Amino acid sequence: MTAPLVELTEIHKSFGANPVLKGVNLELQSGEVHALAGGNGAGKSTLINILGGNITDYTGTIRIDGESKKYAAAADAIRGGIVVIHQELSLIPTLSVVENLFLGDPLTKRGLIDRKAMEAEAARILKRFEIDVDLRAPVQELPLSTRQLVEIAKGLRHKARVVVMDEPTSALNEIETQRLFGIIAELQRQGSGVLYISHRMEEIAQIATRVSVLRDGQIVATGTPRELTPDVIAAHMVGKPLEEVKLQVQADANMVGEVLLNAEEINFSRAGQTVVDHISIQVRAGEVVGLAGLEGAGASEVLWTLFGAHQKGGSCKMTLKGNPVDCASPKKSKTAGLALVTNDRKTTGLVLCASIEENAALPSHAKYARFGWLNTKAMLRAMDILCRSFAVKSANFSEAVSSLSGGNQQKVVLAKWHHTNPDVILLDEPTRGIDVHAKVQIYEQILKWKREGKGLLLISSDIHELILLSDRIEVMKQGKVVRQFSREDATAESVMRATISA
Amino acid sequence: MKNSTFALAALLTIFVVGCGNSSSSEDTPGGKAGIKTPPGGSAKKTYVVGVSQCNLGEPYRAQMNKDLEDAAKDHPELKLVFKDAQNDSLKQRSQVEEFVQDKVDFLIISPKEAQPLTEPVAKAFDAGIPVVVLDRALMGDKFTMFIGADNKEIGKAAGKWLVKKLNGTGNIVELKGLMTSTPAQDRHNGFREGIAGAKFNIVFESEMKWLEPEARKEMDSALARAPKIDAVYAHNDPGAHGAYLAAKAASRDKGVIFIGIDSLPQEGQGYVKQGILAASFQYPTGGKEGIQAVLDLIAGKKTEKTMVLKSRVFTPENVDKGGDPLE
Amino acid sequence: MSALAKLRPTLKTAEFRAIMAFAIVLGLGFIFSGDGSFFRLGTHRDALRQVSVYGILACGMSVVVISGGIDLAVGSILALVAVALSKLVIHLHFSPLLGVLIAIAIGGIAGLLSGTLVAFGKLQAFIATLAVMVFSRGIAKFVSGGQKVATNITAPDGTSTFVEVPGLFRAIDNKILGDNVSVVTIIFVVCFLITWLLLSRTKWGREVYAIGGNEEAARLSGIAVKRSKLLAYVLSGMFAAVAGICQAAQEQQGDPEAGMGYELTAIAMVVMGGTSLLGGRGSVGLTMIGILTIGYLEKILSINAVPESGRLVITGAIIVIAVFAQNRR
Repeated sequence: MTAPLVELTEIHKSFGANPVLKGVNLELQSGEVHALAGGNGAGKSTLINILGGNITDYTGTIRIDGESKKYAAAADAIRGGIVVIHQELSLIPTLSVVENLFLGDPLTKRGLIDRKAMEAEAARILKRFEIDVDLRAPVQELPLSTRQLVEIAKGLRHKARVVVMDEPTSALNEIETQRLFGIIAELQRQGSGVLYISHRMEEIAQIATRVSVLRDGQIVATGTPRELTPDVIAAHMVGKPLEEVKLQVQADANMVGEVLLNAEEINFSRAGQTVVDHISIQVRAGEVVGLAGLEGAGASEVLWTLFGAHQKGGSCKMTLKGNPVDCASPKKSKTAGLALVTNDRKTTGLVLCASIEENAALPSHAKYARFGWLNTKAMLRAMDILCRSFAVKSANFSEAVSSLSGGNQQKVVLAKWHHTNPDVILLDEPTRGIDVHAKVQIYEQILKWKREGKGLLLISSDIHELILLSDRIEVMKQGKVVRQFSREDATAESVMRATISA
Repeated sequence: MKNSTFALAALLTIFVVGCGNSSSSEDTPGGKAGIKTPPGGSAKKTYVVGVSQCNLGEPYRAQMNKDLEDAAKDHPELKLVFKDAQNDSLKQRSQVEEFVQDKVDFLIISPKEAQPLTEPVAKAFDAGIPVVVLDRALMGDKFTMFIGADNKEIGKAAGKWLVKKLNGTGNIVELKGLMTSTPAQDRHNGFREGIAGAKFNIVFESEMKWLEPEARKEMDSALARAPKIDAVYAHNDPGAHGAYLAAKAASRDKGVIFIGIDSLPQEGQGYVKQGILAASFQYPTGGKEGIQAVLDLIAGKKTEKTMVLKSRVFTPENVDKGGDPLE
Repeated sequence: MSALAKLRPTLKTAEFRAIMAFAIVLGLGFIFSGDGSFFRLGTHRDALRQVSVYGILACGMSVVVISGGIDLAVGSILALVAVALSKLVIHLHFSPLLGVLIAIAIGGIAGLLSGTLVAFGKLQAFIATLAVMVFSRGIAKFVSGGQKVATNITAPDGTSTFVEVPGLFRAIDNKILGDNVSVVTIIFVVCFLITWLLLSRTKWGREVYAIGGNEEAARLSGIAVKRSKLLAYVLSGMFAAVAGICQAAQEQQGDPEAGMGYELTAIAMVVMGGTSLLGGRGSVGLTMIGILTIGYLEKILSINAVPESGRLVITGAIIVIAVFAQNRR
């Protein structure tokens, strides 16, 4: 029998006194897609960084084709045929797509940058991935999903025998995800091995040939997707099945009350281009309204417009509990009783360098201020209670919020808006990039708000999540609402078809 | 938004870099007069005198321009065109070239430094424009006349004056200008020559970079280190004034003699009148003499190649009658 | 080993590192004491007085830097205020209180101009305050006619008269508590305390941190970002005015050339303390350590009469070492 493509034995790694990996054994065969599941903090990122040559002070051995290897740096690993596609985008926002694709090793002719060759090569690569994009556009102008595709394309530009993908689909829609799976299948045929990390169980079921679950720095289960069903995997990860949430949702299904939010004539245009086109939305007390739509359909922009978060180009006629609300600025919307959880906690949701308690208190300073003077003691006491009640996991809430895992960061975002006591909460991808355990907690929070009689407007690219939580789903396409589903007739297939149909 | 930022940056750059040039031509409508005068005519009614000043930010140089202006007031046939190089040699160079382009009749220049300006001035001289150089010398001999004072002589005179005043003994503090500059070196070396042989103790010496606040700080240190100070010699009057303020704040100004150099009417002479400085030694601007040289050249008189200005000393006794010449 | 392990978190804090830099400088003072003058009380009183003007500027600068900006205009505003105040109280015989109020208002207006350009005009702080820096210096030279505004008043006919140094100047350039503390040092400490209270105890102060950390997240949290940023520059301008008042009082005149390059010293003090130029992090307490470090370094170099060339080299080296240590997290 030939040696496996990659074989990790007894990998140990500690940060300070804190062991993160406690003897990981993992193998990857040629032509295999090996899915790795695990909660945040289970050690996935550390394992990837060791494999990709970013962390070098570990113990244990890595064998490639049976040969013991130790890479000194990421560039070394790439030369050895190991490509890691990170979840955190490594693209430089101000550079163009081409420049990003060839960052670090541009094509040259007689020592000079060969722009033409690079553009031709870039066009070829992007065509292979079916990415339709202006090669010279700065990356920051592209939608998040396109950026993620460019990131993947950048990684696969190199000839790779081992490809590690960390949450590659977190920003992708269904179609783009399927396209990525096509690429993965091609890699398989070429004999590469793919280590695939994802929170999305249905993806694992679809493409993995083998599944391993990492918990607390150890592999706790390995098997075929048939043996390790999503529920089994989730159980291995946290021991708490999603079933409970499902039961709760069903119990709470029909508690919808009077109309809270009534918005008409919602419009938004960016640089003269209509993004949201005269749509109306109603949210009732205790109701979760789902907004479905592909990237670019305008769903996020609806939330931003309602919240007055667009600097210009947005307008709407809105009443909240019957009172007119001027959607001119976040400050006004907040005062009126709205809250917006944005889809990117790192750039728009949190002040990363500030402490957990500061972040939680940010929209509610006025509550603790008299003539601008803060009662910091009372504020911090309230934040302590708030963060505990949201189960934010940290020994000390005065630590920087950036020290938290993604799921806990998201809980801080929810907590900070909860504390403003809003009537209607606008949620844009509230569970993006977080583990199952945190997801369950966020679902439970949404249900709690629902029970408290708040209105919720929810966007999620995870169609199952959307269907699970929403009482009603409005499907958007090109800035318009094209279909509506009630809880009873919404299925993953029907909603998905509506988002892509002409 | 990015575009507007960029545009403003560009505008600003033009403003900061370019205002020296543009303001000078606006200030002086007479700047174009030189072109109007018939070329080569010996019976001219007006003569355009280009004045290139290296840095109007310094009060001394503002005074020089004022002296030039005052001296030219009684001679309506002279039209002075001032330009300020804002302490930038290259800017001054292009100003000299502008004057040559405008075909001025005379050029008075107070150069920032010798090396970068010798050649442009030589070109003006070669083009037939008589050149009077004030204060700082240029290299070679391609100019009509150099008028300047001798910092070393002035420093020496200050030293001798102090020896006489203190009967040859005492504790002295020397507050120096930037020692990388020639005037500071000369004022230092001259002073040391002047006090040679006297029983003076230099109890503290350091650089105050010509700046009054710095002089006050350095004097604080001198006061901390030296229990007894009899006199403070500063390389300029603001430096002496700063030293006085420090001593006064420490209640140690009584019985200390403060002397400085430059004697500008607004600064040094004022401090002497107020009784703050015991003496101020003039560093003459040469403005009056510069205009006189131009008038002599017009009248066809022979001029010296180099003229060393006589300095004056101002003391409380003589300041009202305009000081006494140094021997 | 265990003691060291316990110390490790402390060793990593910005406060500890800033204090270490200060301790090193003090250590230099013990070694190079300038014939023992370092051990005299008066030397420390003077060191604290000399650093006060810079310190006041650095307090305002801290707020602007924490908000994610920078204020290059403070040195020029200082000169403008020094000239205007001297004109008012020496030449025009304004009452001290009115003079000071007008002076602070001038600083506030200059800050308002910077702040408006940054917050509402959306200019980069560097460029906006550079413009205000040039502009203020121009006004200072215009108002003063390029001459120092002093007690020596020259009439148009060339005769000069002298007036008394105003009581306001004498009062500010005074020492109290048995000649042990300078009044300007008291003013500096008051400015520091005001800044500290504003930053740590007010709604606005916390908002300034949030804006510097992530302006977009702050805006989406319903914070009046523009107003808060504007106020940071107004405060910095007003502190520059206070510094200008102290400068004029100590020089007994208004010098239009005063404060040249002071903005850079103030920025160096802020950075030396460990406040990040990226914004959102740091504190005015850290800046205080930076102020003392640079102030004492200058004093120690001065009592040892180190030549200018040596001073520049040593100061540069200390800044690099301190900032290098700060960045090693």
